[in-house]
Amino acid sequence: MEQFLDGTFNLFGDGQAVLIFALGLIGGMLFGAIPGVNMLTLGAVLLPFTITMQPEHAVMLFSVIYCAGVFGGAITAILFNIPGAPENAPTCFDGYPMTMQGRSGKAIGAAVSCSAIGGVASAVLMMSATGLIASWAVRAFGPQEVFALIFFGLAVSASIGAENLWKGWLSVFAGLIIATVGTDPVGGIPRFNEGSFFGLEFSSYYLSAGIHFIPMILGFFAVSEVLTQAMHISKGTRERPKAGLDFPTIAEFLSVRWTMLRSIVIGFFAGILPGIGATLAAFLGYSQAHRWSKKRANFGKGELEGVVASETANNAATGAAMIPLLALGLPGGALTAMIMGIFQIHGMEPGPLIFVNSGDLVWITFAAMFWANLFIILLGWLQTKTVVQILRVPFRWLAPGILLLAVIGAYALRNLFIDVWVMFLAGIVGYLLRRSGYSAAGVVLGLILGKLGESAFSKSMQLMDYNFFGFFERPISALLITLGIAAIIVSIINEIRGADVQKALMD
Amino acid sequence: MKVLQNIAGASAVVAVLLMAGPAAAMPDKPAGFGNRPLTMIVPFGAGGGSDQLARAMAKAMEEEAGLSFQVINKPGGGGTAAIPDFMLAPADGYTVLEHIDNAISAYAAGDIRENPAEDWIPLCMTQITFSQIYIRPDDDRFSDWESFVAYAKANPGDVTMANLGKVGSKELVVMQQLSDALDLDVKQIAFDKPAERYGALIGGHVDVLFEQPGDVRNFLDAGQMKPILTFLDSRPDAFPDAPTHLEAGADFDALKRFRGFYVKKGTPQDRLDYLVAACKAGFANEGYAEFNKKKYMHLIDSYRDTEGSIELINNAVATYRDMYKQLGIGN
Repeated sequence: MEQFLDGTFNLFGDGQAVLIFALGLIGGMLFGAIPGVNMLTLGAVLLPFTITMQPEHAVMLFSVIYCAGVFGGAITAILFNIPGAPENAPTCFDGYPMTMQGRSGKAIGAAVSCSAIGGVASAVLMMSATGLIASWAVRAFGPQEVFALIFFGLAVSASIGAENLWKGWLSVFAGLIIATVGTDPVGGIPRFNEGSFFGLEFSSYYLSAGIHFIPMILGFFAVSEVLTQAMHISKGTRERPKAGLDFPTIAEFLSVRWTMLRSIVIGFFAGILPGIGATLAAFLGYSQAHRWSKKRANFGKGELEGVVASETANNAATGAAMIPLLALGLPGGALTAMIMGIFQIHGMEPGPLIFVNSGDLVWITFAAMFWANLFIILLGWLQTKTVVQILRVPFRWLAPGILLLAVIGAYALRNLFIDVWVMFLAGIVGYLLRRSGYSAAGVVLGLILGKLGESAFSKSMQLMDYNFFGFFERPISALLITLGIAAIIVSIINEIRGADVQKALMD
Repeated sequence: MKVLQNIAGASAVVAVLLMAGPAAAMPDKPAGFGNRPLTMIVPFGAGGGSDQLARAMAKAMEEEAGLSFQVINKPGGGGTAAIPDFMLAPADGYTVLEHIDNAISAYAAGDIRENPAEDWIPLCMTQITFSQIYIRPDDDRFSDWESFVAYAKANPGDVTMANLGKVGSKELVVMQQLSDALDLDVKQIAFDKPAERYGALIGGHVDVLFEQPGDVRNFLDAGQMKPILTFLDSRPDAFPDAPTHLEAGADFDALKRFRGFYVKKGTPQDRLDYLVAACKAGFANEGYAEFNKKKYMHLIDSYRDTEGSIELINNAVATYRDMYKQLGIGN
């Protein structure tokens, strides 16, 4: 506690630090909120400048951007059906229908408050037990457990956003296949990078990098949304959604308290595991809220609880993701890898010694993340009253801007032009997918988890001498795989019966 | 007093001149070159080892040669995805590629067509380092190389090693040479992300790790990893307790990890000369030297000029091809 106060004092006792804190907060939120660019773009732009900054300021800046950016992506998800980042994808399912119903203010209000609550809860957990949690997680979760967790996540989230179970699974499988493009995780063998297609020979080093999920998301959501709206406009059937400015009431928050708590726990645990992070957290949070909610029939049609579930979970993952980074020196994602880079540029190595060698710095980081999450509420409340006004701008003026930013965002990811082509192709496919009842979010989920899952699966198989049943010899992985299989069986039975009796069957 | 000050001043000047020796040797800047920023392509992600090196070197070359660099990361495909963009850029000296020895093994295996020693011109190598084998210090089955070998021989095929798994990688080739020489049976577990291996060793999911000391310095300092074997001809000062592979009875010339900078073939000679001189001056830069020291790059000679780099590359290609023939990989 004393260290936390010291950290806070260091943070706000210095004018320059306050300025950087504020800029990081606003910048992260803005970059998160603009479709196409995201917090990674901002991070990559700022990285070279951190060499000359004080290490405290640099690390603080990036942790604030991280917290604010994960929240910022929710705004466009809710207003335009365009998630700012993959972890905001499940927010679209209920956030966008709420906007169409003129309840955008409530949806953004819920996203703001829940992001903050999830973030603060995870920052507190992080401050209390970073070292302990990290050493537990690294021992308990080997490749087998990570694979089992991914399998479980896919099993329970597969039908999200699709018309029915079969279309949901097909969407996920399409994503899993796309995930196999590029070099394989074991032998580094390039796949699909050369061959012939209807007699046309092709060969490309670019494809050895694989298909990344960010351009797919931009295509599926941003480009295809622009196409869909353009069709509505040309047919004269587009209704401009009304801008709603109401904040959710206390009673509404109280009614979703269990969902919030569940999402905090899910988000925190998903965040601790390097590489899994916020995206699986958001999907799991959403699917579990759907599973246990009394209002499950209303999910996907503008249910506040859906927004709460996904936004709480993805922000709860932010604090947790700092744990393996700080305590073990293992970055979980692209932005945490940049934070690790900053530490190293300034001659510090994240790991157990960082609490001894650079304790002050760690506590400034903790304090910055805690306060960033609190300030999200304030800024978010302002945004509820202001950003919603964007809905009043005619879409034909917004569309070119969205497309331009999407192109920049796709290119900026890896500075490879193939990502821009992938985005436009995904935009056209996504437009067709939407009309057919398949789930674009399912494809993206399959793609993200397919890459992680294949990597974990191949390592597990090598460790277990290619004995598949080895998964059942380890308690955590056995439990997760069994639960996943049970979830699949139950959902198939339900689908065949066509009845909503899942709960009765499980209990 | 005045005299003393003069002497002090003069010796300071001499010291500065000595320190800045390579910088003083900078040739004249070719007319117009460097008026706009140069692009430095890094084929790996922001924040990683290659990215840190590129940014440190860009800063050093800015200070020494007055060139400014824009560092651009083009990650993917184990470093291959960046190559087409580099090959598409005009050979005008404005595009510099950072790459590591992966490019050489990829060329030897036939995964890429470009020969780094012929189709590209190496400006210099600025990081050359050796590999080691690491264990957990609290492992109760073995505590040094001798007890590790005894354990591995008693339990053939049981010991797992976390490795970067690309077929024909430096790691796998070196381990194959070691295993052949000592008749060891160590199970290689292929990982695709370097940092995951560290967690796998610390968390007890694998038994040993193959890595370069600079990449795991934080774990070494924290006492979470311990080297038991060094792949080098003699024991470096920093690791006096770990035997070398020669001492362990394996007689081969171990491949090293090296990182360096390239431009395309056909770059005008005056610009090439300037860049080569800039790279040399950058290596001698104080800030860069400090960076390299943190990465344990001062233990062996970490610098090669263009000729030295070409020799290093050609030797490595020959070793890889030879090993691939024995192992039956590549073409």
